[in-house]
Amino acid sequence: MNRSSSNSEGAKAEQIIFEFFAKSLHIILESRTPFMSSRNFSGDQMICSPSPSCSSSSSSSVRPRDKWFNLALRECPAALESFDIGRRSSLEPLVVDVVLVARQPFVGDQMSLSDQDELACETKNEQVIERWLVQYDNRKVREAAASRSSSSNSKLQVMYKKATLLLRSLFVMVRLLPAYKIFRALNSSGQICKFKLVPKVPTIVEPFTRREEAEMQKFAFAPVDTVCGRLCMSVLYRSLSDVSCEHSAPVSPTFITDYVGSPLADPLKRFPSLPLSYGSPPLLAFQRRHSWSFDRFKASSPPPSVSCSPSPTRSDSQALVRRLPDIPTGRRKDEERDFSPPCSPSGPVSRGITRTESAPVRIPAPSFESKQNLVAPSPRLKLLRQASLKPVRNSGGAVESGAGLEKLFLYGREEFRRSSGVRLSTNSSPRISFSRSSSRSYQEDFDDNDFPCPFDVEYDEISDPSSRPGSFDQRGDIHEPPLESSGSYPKKSQDAAVGALVNMLKKAPPLRQDVSESSIPEIYWNNNKKPAGAHDVAAASMTASGIALAAKTTADALEELRSYKEMKNVLLSQSTMGSSSVTTSPFAVSGS
Amino acid sequence: MKRCSTLSSERCVTVMGWKWNPSRYARFYAVQCGEIEVEKKIDDKIEQFITWIGKHPNKKSQICLTFYEVKTKQPSWFTNKIERLYWEQWNINLSAFQPPTKPPVGKSHHSKLVMDHPGEESEDISSRRTLLEQSLQEVLFQIIKFVNEKKDHVPPINDGVIYCPFEITFPSSSDSTFGMDMLKRMLHSGGHPSMLS
Repeated sequence: MNRSSSNSEGAKAEQIIFEFFAKSLHIILESRTPFMSSRNFSGDQMICSPSPSCSSSSSSSVRPRDKWFNLALRECPAALESFDIGRRSSLEPLVVDVVLVARQPFVGDQMSLSDQDELACETKNEQVIERWLVQYDNRKVREAAASRSSSSNSKLQVMYKKATLLLRSLFVMVRLLPAYKIFRALNSSGQICKFKLVPKVPTIVEPFTRREEAEMQKFAFAPVDTVCGRLCMSVLYRSLSDVSCEHSAPVSPTFITDYVGSPLADPLKRFPSLPLSYGSPPLLAFQRRHSWSFDRFKASSPPPSVSCSPSPTRSDSQALVRRLPDIPTGRRKDEERDFSPPCSPSGPVSRGITRTESAPVRIPAPSFESKQNLVAPSPRLKLLRQASLKPVRNSGGAVESGAGLEKLFLYGREEFRRSSGVRLSTNSSPRISFSRSSSRSYQEDFDDNDFPCPFDVEYDEISDPSSRPGSFDQRGDIHEPPLESSGSYPKKSQDAAVGALVNMLKKAPPLRQDVSESSIPEIYWNNNKKPAGAHDVAAASMTASGIALAAKTTADALEELRSYKEMKNVLLSQSTMGSSSVTTSPFAVSGS
Repeated sequence: MKRCSTLSSERCVTVMGWKWNPSRYARFYAVQCGEIEVEKKIDDKIEQFITWIGKHPNKKSQICLTFYEVKTKQPSWFTNKIERLYWEQWNINLSAFQPPTKPPVGKSHHSKLVMDHPGEESEDISSRRTLLEQSLQEVLFQIIKFVNEKKDHVPPINDGVIYCPFEITFPSSSDSTFGMDMLKRMLHSGGHPSMLS
């Protein structure tokens, strides 16, 4: 008798436990499985039970399963029914994983207990946001069996009551966790979302890694003691911040300031984009160094004391020369001999000033040089340099001439371009001009490794078209190389050019010292007409190359000055003739 | 108020439902009991409490939610035949304060702008809502934890019982009335040993 009653009580307990498992799974799936149809979902409010007033409702509207634990839920999915069949004879731990899956066509929407879903899962597209664990610990089976008392029925009632309360707590809990908001969002939106919730009941549970466990939070319900053991329930869940949002919210556009390749990020990284034909990579790597990095490589020789040139990048030029053996060094040496620093006769200073003298490279030579301008750009530039620098070296006013050349070059650059047919870029001209001298000076330095030249790069580019990224074409047009935009070359050359220009401007004679009697127009006129003398020859030679570029501009100015001078004379003569001639227009030009 | 609803739902033995509570200050899902009487009772009490708060701004208050068991006993001269056995009491301390009122230009203060157009809400409101939601969630977790830890005192669930009787009390306009309510409770109480608060 006792045995039969105990068996019945054990069976009842087992049935309660089984129904507890089923109800737990039902509660979880109900709040995590998207609705199959919309008829069960009505706006923001949903009554799980068939009717709110269940007390007066007849039992016919309540399904048999709904009576368990007094909790009526939504219709069970088909998979839940299969759970009943498969788990009727076992009380294994129940694990429910709620997976947030990136929507893919091959992933099914229905829950499946088979291993196919597990194999189809891609880790990178799925994220387990919840793991529910419901298990029955029957370690007390033997102890409970030993202590059989008449109060086992009451124990069953207490067990059932506690299980009912636990399930209510579960009902509330599943709606408090962040996954429920996702569930609601997926069900409320009529559009296909990027993600979906897929509750799974894996047969093989993959444990979380430590990192995953650290990211998840745990909530454990108080266990329910049963006659045969205890019912335990817990959940591992991710906070909402860890879960990918179900809605692909538009990201406001932001500026990437440290974009790789931008000038702001790292100008040094611009060169790898250049084609290899324009130079070897190591060469480019060296070329990237800025002028301020010169000091790192130049420890022996002091920097130039003259401020006409900034600190050059010696290593760049050295590397460039080494990797371009086809540079006509011989010619450079010849140029060296003819080259004289315009700023100062001292050695280092002269080298620094030498760079500045490269400005008049593009100035068309006088008549004796004009023919030579038709050759290739690099040789033409070299010849120009020769012509321009020869007299400079021999004259005592080398400093002034150099500065004047530079100044005139800057003034008459436009006119020169029109006359010579050479198209200069806005930034390239000073660069090129400085590069010429710099390369020459560099050649000196290359020999003695004593004084660097920052402009070797530009010079070599000019001298060796093959090494330049399309700098010159057959017409002699100078195209800005891609390096122009980088800022390394132009910046370096421009700095040097600015320094040289400033120095030259300081020491250069004023362009218009005297309006009435100016030596410049006299020299100009003298040059055009006849050589007046030795000093005139020197002055003429000074203007021959250096002033040639701005010759037209100066000529125009002088012409205008002359006209004004004539007008002034006229006015003065008129004023002296009589004050009665007030009606005379000041701008009236006499017939003479 | 969500606590009352949750607590009542916890003690609701029958069907349960849920309702989206688009509060202006916190978005959460309030679990509610499916019983209309329960919901109506809770709503009425909440309205009274809100009225009381309006009369006593910036004042701390307490809502007392108690569950009791009705038992009949032998009527006597001074006692009723109906006895209430309070087996659980929840004290919810509340501090109501006026939030910073800076309605957007052209909008009403009581408009549901925040909920209708979440993208337009200010960061301050959004952060405050987030904090409120988090605190609410933590409190609800605590409630669930307490409810599950202590189950022995809960009366047995009999057939036909839908929900556990409860009452909600809070300090009324006068303290004397509140004291009377407490006195009445003590008289009705049978000195249940497992009374929880």
